[in-house]
Amino acid sequence: MTEKEMNCEQALRQILAYVDRELSAEEHAAMQEHLHACKGCFSRMEFERLLKSKFGALRDEEATPEVSERVKALLKDF
Amino acid sequence: MRVSKEFFEKQVLGLLGALEGVARRLTRNDADAEDLVAETVSRAWRALDTLEHEAAFRSWMFRILNNAFVSGLRRADARPKTEPIGGADGEEEEAGFSLFEQMHQPFLLWFGNPEQEFLDKLLREDLERALASLPEHYRVVVIMSDVQEFSYAEIAQTLAVPVGTVRSRLARARGALQKVLWQQAGEHGLKQAAAPCPEHDDKARGINHIGKGGIG
Repeated sequence: MTEKEMNCEQALRQILAYVDRELSAEEHAAMQEHLHACKGCFSRMEFERLLKSKFGALRDEEATPEVSERVKALLKDF
Repeated sequence: MRVSKEFFEKQVLGLLGALEGVARRLTRNDADAEDLVAETVSRAWRALDTLEHEAAFRSWMFRILNNAFVSGLRRADARPKTEPIGGADGEEEEAGFSLFEQMHQPFLLWFGNPEQEFLDKLLREDLERALASLPEHYRVVVIMSDVQEFSYAEIAQTLAVPVGTVRSRLARARGALQKVLWQQAGEHGLKQAAAPCPEHDDKARGINHIGKGGIG
């Protein structure tokens, strides 16, 4: 392992930030290199990514009619 | 800065679904969520001068919503109904909890791809129930990051905390969330179903890892 290569312990510490796309370009590249080489960390990353996407699917794009009507009435009074 | 009423209206209506979704998950109650959204919009209109620039509208609105929620809790003297799992002392343990690692414990004999099977069986209700069980200070960061897909910087702005705090709180919150999902899985037979049978080939008999219809 060269000085710049990431080990599994370092990868696991940063895996959530990687999934959240919050690593710097350098950290991201080091993580990708590690994930290409390490099946265990890749599986863990995939699990975290898919679990996050499950929560993302809960996102509400539309307000209920009750809230929509109430807020529109409020806005009229401003 | 002072933006036009038209700008304010357009932005508010565009964010309404997200505001209501966050409010409902914070309050865990439809009527309270509706009140919270209305209170947020009223406060935002009164505080329009505090909006620094138009691009910051989203995090500014969610900050007002969170502040309105917190002050509502204080007014009602209603403490969050759930406490941190394991209490404050359990926070380090929560940060280290991983569903993935639980599913790969050596005494659990899985076949195929356990984490994929687990994810496939997760229903919306399971996720909502797990989220609702989290204490408010964890719930809010998971909602912002995983449901609303805010960046750490936006969450930091919304909650008025440093980015490092967002990162560490999110790690603990996700650990706590995964712990709840794992507990839910246990309640519904996942762990028992995956336990090893010393005498027989479970694979040949077929293991029902998760009860039909989700884990919750």
